[in-house]
Amino acid sequence: MSLIRIALAGEGGQGVQAVAEILTEAAYNENQQTIYIPNFGLEQRGGVSIAFIQFSDQRIGAPKFNKADVVIALSGRAIGRTAGYSDENTLFVYDSGFDFDKEDLPKEAKKIIAIPAVDTANRVLHPKVFNMIIMGAVIGLTKVVSFEAAKEALEHKLAYKFETNPDLRELNIKAMEIGKQMAEKSLQEEVDNNG
Amino acid sequence: MEKIIGEPKKAFMTGNETVAWACLAAGADIMFGYPITPQNEVMHYWTRLAPKYNRNFLQTEDELSAGFTTCGAVQAGKKAFTATAGPGNVLMQEPFGMAEAMRLPVLSIIQQRGGPSSGTVVYSQQEVTLTTYGGNGEGHRIVYSTATHQEVYDYVIKGFNTAWKYRFPTFVLGDGYQAKMREPLEMYDPQDKGIEIIQPYPLIGIPGKIGEDREPQHLCNIYSLEEELYEVVMRVSAEYESISPEIVEFQARNCEDADIIIISHGVVSRAADDAVKILRAQGIKAGYFRPITLRPFPQQQLREVITQSGAKYLLIAESAYGQLERLIKQEIYGETVEIETLFMPGVGIIDFDIIKKVKSII
Repeated sequence: MSLIRIALAGEGGQGVQAVAEILTEAAYNENQQTIYIPNFGLEQRGGVSIAFIQFSDQRIGAPKFNKADVVIALSGRAIGRTAGYSDENTLFVYDSGFDFDKEDLPKEAKKIIAIPAVDTANRVLHPKVFNMIIMGAVIGLTKVVSFEAAKEALEHKLAYKFETNPDLRELNIKAMEIGKQMAEKSLQEEVDNNG
Repeated sequence: MEKIIGEPKKAFMTGNETVAWACLAAGADIMFGYPITPQNEVMHYWTRLAPKYNRNFLQTEDELSAGFTTCGAVQAGKKAFTATAGPGNVLMQEPFGMAEAMRLPVLSIIQQRGGPSSGTVVYSQQEVTLTTYGGNGEGHRIVYSTATHQEVYDYVIKGFNTAWKYRFPTFVLGDGYQAKMREPLEMYDPQDKGIEIIQPYPLIGIPGKIGEDREPQHLCNIYSLEEELYEVVMRVSAEYESISPEIVEFQARNCEDADIIIISHGVVSRAADDAVKILRAQGIKAGYFRPITLRPFPQQQLREVITQSGAKYLLIAESAYGQLERLIKQEIYGETVEIETLFMPGVGIIDFDIIKKVKSII
């Protein structure tokens, strides 16, 4: 696998950094080269939080990048903040569950797709596992790590929570599965529309 | 030496966590610190680890105090360190000056953030001047600029040894990216790599009668006479210059036939390395030079590279507005190679930025 660069952005507290941690941990366990750098500001809470993630089979150079292969924006503000990381090779993904100014979408992108992650989390699962839907979606969109490796890394990170509440494990994994399917479906629809 | 790591093992962690583990493996006794982003987690991880290994930590009331308590602890024979960034680094210049004056083996980890003033909490290479030549002295310091988590681990261990061997304040100069990012590295106990750890020793309260059993210890940071100070500074300068050749470290690649040599340090050198590979693949004769020690600077080595290659240009790339450039210019005074610059103060530099710049020059 050659270099894949992902910018994952959302509101502080949505859990995008946790997703980045789990994904890179999974990639590391699968013997990939990987770097993850959080964009951190002054805010203790709130504000747009961005995770810059890179996966490769070779040593990775600079920890940041100007243009991403995949951008995932999880709030209205996050779209504007991350549009600049998109160019003609970028898959730009945003959540369809919030209002935003269409002007904020990137001018350049290979594809722009919307996924209903927030809505699905709220209706079908639990708002808490929204970020696990996103993690599943990242895997579905990019195949950067195997589903199994992500599950293991999730287990590693949240073992202490799962111990006291085993239902949480199932809920999280279910969310990942739904996210993965959601992403695969979006890509398929895109192909159908273009085809 | 207590074994901390056991068998060398791979790890995937942040740079700050790497610092804490390296200090532990190097046998550090105590950290003094005051919170500042992006260094905080050095303290957090250290306070988590230290009690398990019978090590200590003191959070002081500010950075001045953290620096001075570190100066005090090393005099008592404790392997002590501190970590800071940005405005904290500014405040620590006074204790660092004392460490220069009294030849104290203080190790400090600097995680550069944006400046001036509070700047950003994120990243920069804007603390180069401050870390190499800060304070009201002559820059008698040893500064390692790291680029990877592996180097952070290696040079923290080495830094303690350098400090205790030569007794000049020693710095591991990282940055917010290195502090916060996660990447793989191998952790090890120094003895398993054949690294002999220099044990700390007290500088005061040592046994024996002065004049009979031992020489007096002159740990002095103020003198009555200007001639006295002059003598000391001249002696220390001469000593610093004489040990410099054994301390300087650098990397040079693809310079032999280079038309343009890209010079960078720290995390930017990763982008420079990639840029050189890509440029070479495109038939552009680019070379890569990276000082690992910013103080003392690999002056001789850089001059040789310039002469041997016959390069027409140097391109200095840094996340600051000319701090590395000034260091280089003073070190290679008299060379006629043309100097071009890529200054991106407070923001990251990627291979693309360097390649674009090179193509605009050649």
